[in-house]
Amino acid sequence: MANFLKVENLCRFYDDVAAVQEISFEVGKGEFVALLGPSGCGKSTTLKMIAGLENPDSGTIEIEGQDVLGKAPGKRNLSMVFQSYALFPHLSVRENILFGLKARKVPKPERLKRLNSAVEMVGLGPHINKKPGQLSGGQSQRVALARSIVSNAPLCLMDEPLSNLDTKLRADMRTEIRSLQKQLGLTVIYVTHDQIEAMSMADKIILLNQGRIEQTAAPEEFYDKPLTTFVASFIGHPPMNLIPQKEFLLGVRPEHVQIVDVDTGSEISMVIQECDYQGSETIVTGEYMGTMIKVSMAGKCNIPSGESVNVRWEPGAVHRFKTEGGQRLEDNP
Amino acid sequence: MNRLTRIVLVSMAWLLGFVWLFPLIYAIWAAIHPAEYATKFSLFAPLTMDNFKEAWNEAPFLRYMINTVAITLIILTGQLVLCTLAAYALARMEFFGRGLMFALVLMQLMVVPEILIVENYQTLAGLNLIDTYWGVALPYVASAFGIFLLRQTFKTVPQDLENAAKIEGCSVLAIIWKVYVPLAKPTYLAFSLVSISYHWNNFLWPLVVTNTEKSRPLTVGMSIFGAPESGVDWSIISAGTLISVGPLLILFILFQRQFVQSFMQAGIK
Repeated sequence: MANFLKVENLCRFYDDVAAVQEISFEVGKGEFVALLGPSGCGKSTTLKMIAGLENPDSGTIEIEGQDVLGKAPGKRNLSMVFQSYALFPHLSVRENILFGLKARKVPKPERLKRLNSAVEMVGLGPHINKKPGQLSGGQSQRVALARSIVSNAPLCLMDEPLSNLDTKLRADMRTEIRSLQKQLGLTVIYVTHDQIEAMSMADKIILLNQGRIEQTAAPEEFYDKPLTTFVASFIGHPPMNLIPQKEFLLGVRPEHVQIVDVDTGSEISMVIQECDYQGSETIVTGEYMGTMIKVSMAGKCNIPSGESVNVRWEPGAVHRFKTEGGQRLEDNP
Repeated sequence: MNRLTRIVLVSMAWLLGFVWLFPLIYAIWAAIHPAEYATKFSLFAPLTMDNFKEAWNEAPFLRYMINTVAITLIILTGQLVLCTLAAYALARMEFFGRGLMFALVLMQLMVVPEILIVENYQTLAGLNLIDTYWGVALPYVASAFGIFLLRQTFKTVPQDLENAAKIEGCSVLAIIWKVYVPLAKPTYLAFSLVSISYHWNNFLWPLVVTNTEKSRPLTVGMSIFGAPESGVDWSIISAGTLISVGPLLILFILFQRQFVQSFMQAGIK
């Protein structure tokens, strides 16, 4: 897969505070890449620099082998979907979608052709003459998607496009965006702070923390082989338990811990603190070797607090990290 | 609200309205009656249109009207263009000394225009523009009030809208024209109204800078009726005044609702 987008050593400072530090990554054509991280980690800044809305202090950005730094955003052949939708309130849905094509002086028959196919793709047919103020959040985001589709740009940047929608709609839109992306063969850079969005949609996730890349990998690798304790404690619901040992940190995911009734001979047990029932599962919190850990149990589970239970896990479910710095240690002890 | 407060409030409103309206009512009374009834009230006073005829014939009203319209339009156009550009720069562009620049513009709001009459006259004489439309208009084409008002409005336009337009390939001027201007429409309307009524009625500067009816606006033209050597005929002055404020008055009555709405939206009260 040819390198479609190449970002190298990107740095950006705000008043001497680094927002983005030496970020490098590559994106193949047609790939869906999620830039994931907590707020303030530099993911939006990175996206804006790719778009050309901000200039990096150092580093290079290449799109299709061409250096795009110094090119205006409109000349980079990309489209963008914003968290705030960024629809022009004085224009109808139709005019909003056509805005870019008119600005670029695309001939009228071509404009209409693209408009019609995009409107059909995102299912906006009955709303085409409405003003953005009359639309719901989901419909507004569809207009923004349609605007990005009609541009025919091969690269689409999405800046937390679903954060303003409610949970159910968000789930629907995730599937929809993913299938649109596949259908159109789009290359997508998707900024989000929501690990579910990143895990479920992306081919590749880039996890950022304080302006640096923590890990770049496919979603399953993020879950199976987190490179640092930051990644381990960011991914997962609830995140991985990290238990300090003599020479290293032991990591085990709550869903891999089992509470066993029978005494297996293990002298170490967990003292229950509380049980948090969530429907399909119960999150049990307790103290284990001086550390608070969480255990995910299927179904309803109500153990009185203060009671001691025995816990176990498969040896393969264990992750080990350095105490200093938090890097992952080799799997074989 | 109890009944008493309501009655007091409503009668205060009527009183204020009457005080505001009285000069206009008087002008209409004086203009449609013969001169001897100008200061005398009688229900049976004979109606006449002669005052209008006389006023119209005594001064080249049509010419003055054209001058006023031309001058007002030149000023308004200049103000809208210059204020838009300056307001955008002050609201959204980052450059060295922006804060100072904006402070200087604001300070200009505190300068009374009359204080600059001599200086302005010298400048315009140097430019050879005395007794021309441009001579009357030039000192006013950049308005600190307009810049301030539009800057505040532009500041409320979400940055993402500008970013979206940039990504779609719009230039800065296209962004201003297609994003900022449409969104600031109420502010433009409100500002235009203030500007038009101010410059339509402006007197002192046009009086100083115009010499002939080539560029003299209505307000200055009207003053010849009040000149002491010709004696003061209130009926004819009233008729002349009505002729000159007429177009503006009709415009206001027609667009009253829009004006009031745009003032509310622009936040000027």
